[in-house]
Amino acid sequence: MESISRISSMLETARDLTLEAARDAGPRKTTRPLPALQIKKLLDSRNEREVLDGLRRVIAMQYAIPPQPTLTFFAAVLKTLSNPYPSTRPLVYNYLIHHAEADPDTALLSINTIQKSLSDSNPRVRAMALKTMAGIRVPVISQIVSLAIKKGVSDLSPVVRKAAALACVKCVRLDPTTRPQVEEYITTLLTDKQYYVVGAAVQAFMELCPERLDLVHPAYRKLCRMIADMDEWGQLAVLRLLTGYARQCFPRRTKRSKRTQTREEKAKDFYEELEPQEASEAEYEEVDLMDPDLELFLKSVQPLLHSRNSAVIVAAVRAFLYLSPTNYLHQAIGPLVALLRSPQDVQQVALYDIVQVCLISPSLFVPYIRHFLIRSTEAPQIWRLKFEVLTLIFPHCSKDIQDLLLAELEHFSQGHNAPLVRESVRAIGRCAQASNAITSRRCLSLLLKQIHSRDQNLVGEAIEVVRHLIQRSPDAHRKTVVRLARNLDTLTSPTARASIVWLVGEFAGYDANNNIAADVLRILVRGYADEEDEVRAQIVLLAAKVYLHFLNARNPKQKAIEALDGPKKYETEDAQIMSPAEEDGEGFREHAFNSLTPTEQPEQVSEKSHPIELLYQHTMLLARYTPSYDLRDRARLFRALLSVPSSTELASLLLLAPKPVPQAPSPSESRKNFALGSASLVVGTEAAGLAGLKGYEGIPNWVEEGREPNARLREEDVGRAEYVPASERAVVGVSAGQKLDEALLADGEVRKGKTLDDWLDEEDGETDGEESDEGSGGEEESDGDTEEEESDYESESEEDEKAGLVR
Amino acid sequence: MSAIEALYIFDEHNNLILNHTYIGRPPPPSTLLPLYLQHASPRPSLIYLPTTNPPTLLYSMIQDNLLFFSPLSSDTEPLLVLEFLHRVADALEEFLGSPLLASKITANYDVVAQVIAEIADGGVPCQGEANALRDVVETGPGVLNNLLGKVGLPGGSAPGLQGGPSGRLHTPPLRPAETAQGSAVPWRRSNVRHTSNELYVDLVETLSVTLAPSGRPLSAFAYGSIAFTSKVSGVPDLLLSLSTGGKGGGMGNRGDQLRSVIERVVFHPCVRLNRWNSDGVLSFVPPDGRFALCGYEVDLLGPDAPLTAGKTAANNLNLPAMVEITTGLGSSGSDFEVRMTQPSSSSSRAGSAAAASLQSNLGSGSRPGSFRAGSGGGESKGSALENLTVRVPLPAGVRNISDMRPSKGEAHWNPADGSVEWKVPSKDFGPAGVVLRCTVQGPLSDADEAGGMLNGVTATTYDYTDDEPATYQSQHDSDSTAGGTNGAQDNSRTRAQKNRALMPTSTTLSFSIKGWLASGLKVESLLVDTKKSRGLGPEVKPYKGVKYLTVSRDGIEVRC
Repeated sequence: MESISRISSMLETARDLTLEAARDAGPRKTTRPLPALQIKKLLDSRNEREVLDGLRRVIAMQYAIPPQPTLTFFAAVLKTLSNPYPSTRPLVYNYLIHHAEADPDTALLSINTIQKSLSDSNPRVRAMALKTMAGIRVPVISQIVSLAIKKGVSDLSPVVRKAAALACVKCVRLDPTTRPQVEEYITTLLTDKQYYVVGAAVQAFMELCPERLDLVHPAYRKLCRMIADMDEWGQLAVLRLLTGYARQCFPRRTKRSKRTQTREEKAKDFYEELEPQEASEAEYEEVDLMDPDLELFLKSVQPLLHSRNSAVIVAAVRAFLYLSPTNYLHQAIGPLVALLRSPQDVQQVALYDIVQVCLISPSLFVPYIRHFLIRSTEAPQIWRLKFEVLTLIFPHCSKDIQDLLLAELEHFSQGHNAPLVRESVRAIGRCAQASNAITSRRCLSLLLKQIHSRDQNLVGEAIEVVRHLIQRSPDAHRKTVVRLARNLDTLTSPTARASIVWLVGEFAGYDANNNIAADVLRILVRGYADEEDEVRAQIVLLAAKVYLHFLNARNPKQKAIEALDGPKKYETEDAQIMSPAEEDGEGFREHAFNSLTPTEQPEQVSEKSHPIELLYQHTMLLARYTPSYDLRDRARLFRALLSVPSSTELASLLLLAPKPVPQAPSPSESRKNFALGSASLVVGTEAAGLAGLKGYEGIPNWVEEGREPNARLREEDVGRAEYVPASERAVVGVSAGQKLDEALLADGEVRKGKTLDDWLDEEDGETDGEESDEGSGGEEESDGDTEEEESDYESESEEDEKAGLVR
Repeated sequence: MSAIEALYIFDEHNNLILNHTYIGRPPPPSTLLPLYLQHASPRPSLIYLPTTNPPTLLYSMIQDNLLFFSPLSSDTEPLLVLEFLHRVADALEEFLGSPLLASKITANYDVVAQVIAEIADGGVPCQGEANALRDVVETGPGVLNNLLGKVGLPGGSAPGLQGGPSGRLHTPPLRPAETAQGSAVPWRRSNVRHTSNELYVDLVETLSVTLAPSGRPLSAFAYGSIAFTSKVSGVPDLLLSLSTGGKGGGMGNRGDQLRSVIERVVFHPCVRLNRWNSDGVLSFVPPDGRFALCGYEVDLLGPDAPLTAGKTAANNLNLPAMVEITTGLGSSGSDFEVRMTQPSSSSSRAGSAAAASLQSNLGSGSRPGSFRAGSGGGESKGSALENLTVRVPLPAGVRNISDMRPSKGEAHWNPADGSVEWKVPSKDFGPAGVVLRCTVQGPLSDADEAGGMLNGVTATTYDYTDDEPATYQSQHDSDSTAGGTNGAQDNSRTRAQKNRALMPTSTTLSFSIKGWLASGLKVESLLVDTKKSRGLGPEVKPYKGVKYLTVSRDGIEVRC
């Protein structure tokens, strides 16, 4: 969902209003910096306003860029803690957390005061104190923090319990030796009755000990029921936890059964006429037999698909994808696709996730194909991924849609944006690869149309892709090669020309009596000097291949003649052919030979050699004087290979080896192994490596049958179950709103403890707290600065509380 | 691991304005910024930087020209971090006012520091709801009273405190730390009090339409959001019903109708999903102030429209303006023409219907004077249509636009991003339509002419005939091959061909229109459930307002 600020930016009038308001408000005070002494004076004041002003100035200095030294105020700031004004607390705490590490000794002075606040009658004050104490990064106090958390865990107010849960993380970070105690606290908190406490507890659990699944068993069902009500961050943690948990605790059981039409198939049926044989062969399928507990989880995840938080949606999709794709995944596709309307930053990342799901089950995306049409205003990161989705869906679409997609791709292949052109031509290539012969042929003709474009990029790319297509089924494409060769007249793109020449060479062996290769070579050699190196290399290769085919065809005949005529004639011929090769081959002796050969060779060659031999020798000569040493090297290699015309086995092995069919996998194929919704998936294997980034955790494998933990571990103990009304237990995903409804109904005198849900209980406690707090406000003032009185502060606050209750 | 390590905010000139470290020792902003700027804009939202120490995943987000950074050293769910950044921006906006300006942040470091410390505790995101933060963040006496104070803070907002010292220290106007119990509703701050009770519903739809050269729509979506502003005391319980305006008829009850029109809905956590699923109404206890209630999308072609049927014309979309582009005009084919028209069928529909419904449905308790600006602007369509802009992106080869002749409005060639922008004042845009004609100029030197002869093979022709040209759908490329040899004679033809490479391939249309929604959605009623609400007297009748707005930001794309 668009964030509210983005929506309001569209409602301009509203924006103008706020702009005006902002102008009216102006800078709220003079930002003129005061000298340190004066700030100290402000801090020491007994006037709340002045103290607050001083604190603000200190905080502003601390955050200013570049930061100004504020450590000198430490003592003065801490002293303000003794003030009765609650309004100064948050700022002091903020300062304290920021500076504690720099001056641990001074920081310790504050511990007593904070500890005192831990027993404050106001739960918010307690929560804030607990939060601050855990945030002070001074390892000495870790035991005190641990004790404070212990106290917080059993606090009446859920606000404090939530703070305790989050403090657990900080406590272990501060001092790892407290981990055993903290894990105990988390165990308690996981079974809390208040959903946002549990959410925070799961977050802490995931931070600290995600491997301790034994702690989760008793809370499992409760987590499933509560997930719908938690805040987004809690939901994310629970989804992550339970997805891993389910893999490790529910063995995968399947049975073969008669296939029922899932929605996916219905959609498929709808969009493409299923071939009858496919239906019969897939009559039976593996059906997941789901553990009821797993089903409970998946069911309770369903409402989360309406979440406004894109991360929650992706996490829910992840749960479905890795736990039960056949039964649940189809529901999640719509919400996943809907992420495309989020802001651009989210959209980018979401597309990676979409591609990942699409690689696994492309047919589910067919109904949403219109969402993936590319728009000219989009960023490259986005259209690149959209192209990928389109090509992945392509084979699953009906013919109409395929036509439409091809038209789309064609449109973009004729654009002006070079990367976009390249990507769309490649996409056409992938479409051709993945589909049947007819469509593939359509794609090919589409590409062939492109080779007359003036755009070099496009032509080069198109020919490359055409080459791939031709290589996949060479027999069907002999004519295509001829057509391509004709284009050598007009084509200017070196990549394209090189590709075509290579193709001609590959096809030089087919249909020996009617082959164009030699003729193409004849024409190309004439223009050799004007070609790019890339093309020259291919011409030389072509010459070698043509000559080799010629030799291969001649040798059996030669043998036959040889058998008739005797060995003598053969020898002479051999020598004739060999001499120029030899001359070329041993370059360092060329001066010596040069003086000899010109006189001898011309008449021999002109008399006896076949035109192909002459062509070959001419090409080799041209190659020899090419500036590129790489090319000269190659030519030397070919000469050596083909130096003995009668033995061409090695050359055939090297030059005529069957080429593997090129595969152009979908670009994201390489990241297919990364878990959905991880950063490694977005970064990709090139940067992240195969094992993923640091901290990457894949989805664990399914536990083997028989090794899973006992299902009875998940039974909730009866004592606790009593608190939850049976009606509520049955309902999955009671929304907070519903709870509120009930609470409102039960408001006032209807408070009959049993039927009220937990939330109300807590509210009772809080209301009391608030009242007592108002009472204590006045009395605390009279206490004054009471650092020495801390021994009996506890009893005092009790009195306060009583006073509050009386009032 | 899902802990946020740090949060950096830069202003529009990439100067650091906020640097907050939650945990660990992440790379400082000064190292990250240059590495981020290395990437070409638009920059990816997640960048992996293996060269920093430790290797860092850099998440970034831009809001209101401010650049938000969050570096992380280990693999986290990327969307979690990005959503977190969005929430930070929202929360800062809630406290500092919209739009978020760098100067506001630097002037209110104390509030900002509390907000970002509360929104993530020790790096663990724990509070996503800006409004709920109000209970814990100390804005103190006199702070931002002008911006926030009117939101009915108890005890009067005491403007005097801003001026000089005063004696009212015993009752500081806002003491969030004292509002002891958390609000019963996690997303709503406690003790809300307003003197005037008001409710506003803003329906905003963003268009995303793609039209094929033939004018047939390939895709047409309206992405809608419902922004809700609640300024009601206590804990109100609201019921918002929408109607589809006749679409999706024959789909059973109204909920089904509605759900068949607005698809893939996402909700603010306050919405009761059960009520939506059963009755198709939005029932919720809102946060205080402004928030995004719901997001949805509408397929304007109809959910089941076959993708490729040729009949649906663009007219069926009822858009208030349409644009066509013709290229390759003029003697040398160097002109193109953009024509903007008003589809006739839309005029009746988009008219005053929306405004009327607003009056009839919600007018009961309304005081006419307090209508929000713009909400009444729907009387005539001509005045409601605003910011008509056509943008024609041109290929990089275009050196200049030698001639721009708009029949109305102003056209402007922007060499930096290579596009022509044409703004038409809505008063000039009549049923007759408006036209812009441009002449493009290509590169100076005719280097291509020489390039054609480069390979020296141009003079030769292969005479291998293609036996079965019918195999390929494109027969015409065999004749165009032949053209290669005698191309020199046909000078104008080659020029036209060359100019074809300079022609735009698409054009986009932007506008905003008030009082009309592309989806035809309407707010049917907004009721306060007095039985369920608390803290709201039965006599209180909140003022209600509805506003409809459809925006196209380069959202209508026409190809050619």
